[in-house]
Amino acid sequence: MTSHRWYTPWLLIAPALLWLAVFSLWPAINTGVLSFTDVHTLSGGRFIGVHNYALMWHDPQLRDAILNTLIFMAVCVPLLTFLPLLLALLVQRTLPFMGFFRTVFYFPVIASAVVVALIWQWLLDDRGLVNGLGRQAGLLHGALPFLTDRWLLLFSAIALTVWKGLGYYMVLYLSALGNVRRELHEAAAVDGAGTVRRFWAVTVPGVRGTMALVSVLIAVNAMRVFSELYILGGRTGGIGGQDVSLVMLIQQAAAGSDGRIGYASALSVLLFVLTIGPLLLLARWNRRTD
Amino acid sequence: MPGIRAGLALAAIAAASLTGCGVGGAGSTASQQTVASDAQLKGTITFQTWSLKNDKFTPYFTALIKDFETQHPGTTITWVDQPGDGYADKVSSQVTSGSLPDVINLPQDIAHSVAKVGGLLDLTKNVPTLAQDYVHSGVAAYTYPDLGSDGFAFPWYLGTDVSYWNKAMLQRDGLDPAKPPRTFDELVAQAKVMHDASGGRDYLMSRPPGLSDIVNSGTPLMTSDGRTFAFNTAGAAAMLDKYTAAYAAGYLPSNVLTSTYEGNSALFTKQEVAWTTGGGNYIESTLQSNPSLAPQIVPSPALDTAPLYVQGISVAARSRNLPLALAFGRFVTDDANQKAFIKLAPGFLPGSAASAADPAYSRSDGTAQGDASVIAYQDMQKAVIFTPPVWTDAMNTFLNQQVALAMTGKEPAEQALDNAVNRANQLLGQ
Repeated sequence: MTSHRWYTPWLLIAPALLWLAVFSLWPAINTGVLSFTDVHTLSGGRFIGVHNYALMWHDPQLRDAILNTLIFMAVCVPLLTFLPLLLALLVQRTLPFMGFFRTVFYFPVIASAVVVALIWQWLLDDRGLVNGLGRQAGLLHGALPFLTDRWLLLFSAIALTVWKGLGYYMVLYLSALGNVRRELHEAAAVDGAGTVRRFWAVTVPGVRGTMALVSVLIAVNAMRVFSELYILGGRTGGIGGQDVSLVMLIQQAAAGSDGRIGYASALSVLLFVLTIGPLLLLARWNRRTD
Repeated sequence: MPGIRAGLALAAIAAASLTGCGVGGAGSTASQQTVASDAQLKGTITFQTWSLKNDKFTPYFTALIKDFETQHPGTTITWVDQPGDGYADKVSSQVTSGSLPDVINLPQDIAHSVAKVGGLLDLTKNVPTLAQDYVHSGVAAYTYPDLGSDGFAFPWYLGTDVSYWNKAMLQRDGLDPAKPPRTFDELVAQAKVMHDASGGRDYLMSRPPGLSDIVNSGTPLMTSDGRTFAFNTAGAAAMLDKYTAAYAAGYLPSNVLTSTYEGNSALFTKQEVAWTTGGGNYIESTLQSNPSLAPQIVPSPALDTAPLYVQGISVAARSRNLPLALAFGRFVTDDANQKAFIKLAPGFLPGSAASAADPAYSRSDGTAQGDASVIAYQDMQKAVIFTPPVWTDAMNTFLNQQVALAMTGKEPAEQALDNAVNRANQLLGQ
């Protein structure tokens, strides 16, 4: 039997640990530290206590940013937890052309952000396809203000996120569904369980671990939402900045040669705190249901 | 114990970060240095331009540098050029990493940020004839009220906006290309004519209002002491109300406030909009990019007061070879070299006082481009810099947001301007 020196495992994980320390741990700690300073892009760096956190109370956009981010997460988590599962169940079947459909459903995941932006802007513009079809069908008289109404823009961004994420989470569920034993479904069917009952009683418990993982990933990504709102709302975050997210607010605060890095860091700490809360809740819910 | 050790380690890292996070720059001492005027010129420096390395300008700079190096044996000038996009970010990273080039081309807003942290040499102190050798508006552009009376750049070339009109579109909608609008009110009136004649297909107006519109409404942006913003006046609100009414009436494209807005210039190029603004060389550059549109373009003076754009050559306060950097900065912007440079850039004006007064700039060759150059020259005599150096990206974003709220009728103009002023003043102190 070969014996290992005590440091062998540490050597093996050293590259990953180094990576984490340099690119995750250090920036995270530094962000926390900077949040207590008046550092700007080119100047400052004096310790100012909790002044940046006090400034948040006077930020006219912070309330909207928190609300939008939380709504984004609250809607995205259930939609992106269950819709990809249904899609995976659909494409799991061995039917003709199913490989083609799997590819089609996965396509938005690999589509470039620029292409996605152009497609969705073109779809939702006042003179875009959705409004055009609505007018032609006689359903609309004017144009639905997808890109100028606060709530329509927010929910359009949610729709874009769901569309873009479906394929990715579908693939995760497909691998999990392969581990759900066929006999369980057959036994449930023999006992008279219908499709819906089998879904809740057999499929969902069988993929619960993947569901937990998926819901956590979605929650974290939703709290960090930026590109979808930026694509549809522009750099100002929609009309009047009403569709700004927390990450957009951080970007706006830190932008330019006069960027308020200290304040942006304080906002990042707030985002961290707000993200940890829902994650702990999700973890607790998962433990309870296990 | 491990918990205590981990806590101590984190505290140590935090302390190290705190002491290391200052990026304060050189401080005012470096910028106030006096450079010996009789020092021997030798060694190597770096010279940075902004988006000027191309077929048109590269031969000029190559010859310019060779000329200087020949006149001063033992000197080497390394020329670098930065791409057009993200220049402010590039300069910021150069400042924070201590690698700002010795001689650098900076517009006045970026120069202000760098000067504020002591990154640029005070030229007023080191070049006693600065005010006489260079045009007043150029020197003033690089003298910032919040930084005292120091000047931080040699004015290099000056530009302004000229109005450009699509003759075919104007004629098609019953407007006279020989009488384009000269004021904002005339613009709105002719936009209505175009809208009504084309059934809403053609547009004359295609951009939301900004700082320049506020200034053109007769509103000073700041109080007389330059300490606070105060552009929430009745005049500015009336201007915003006119924009709101024009937008509601369909005189501007409906997507002008959304992410699908391509910009005034792109819409002009696509011939969906009959008016745009551009530099004095716009027709010449359009001739290369869109030859069919160029012959249709008619230039006219900018609406109301024209904006002034200035490019300057600054010297880095931390340069290790200040005598050479200062001498080369003066050389690039001396009268002869500015004249030669401007020959390659019609529509711009040199920043040296002697050549700026050259009557040749006020004579057109009879072409539309020639007319545009003369208009630019005339406009520049009374053009003003609209954007105060203390105006930041965050303030601009907030103003744009409030303007959008007003134009969509979600907020009264007065309220929108009050909010913008309050937020700008809040940010001013941060």
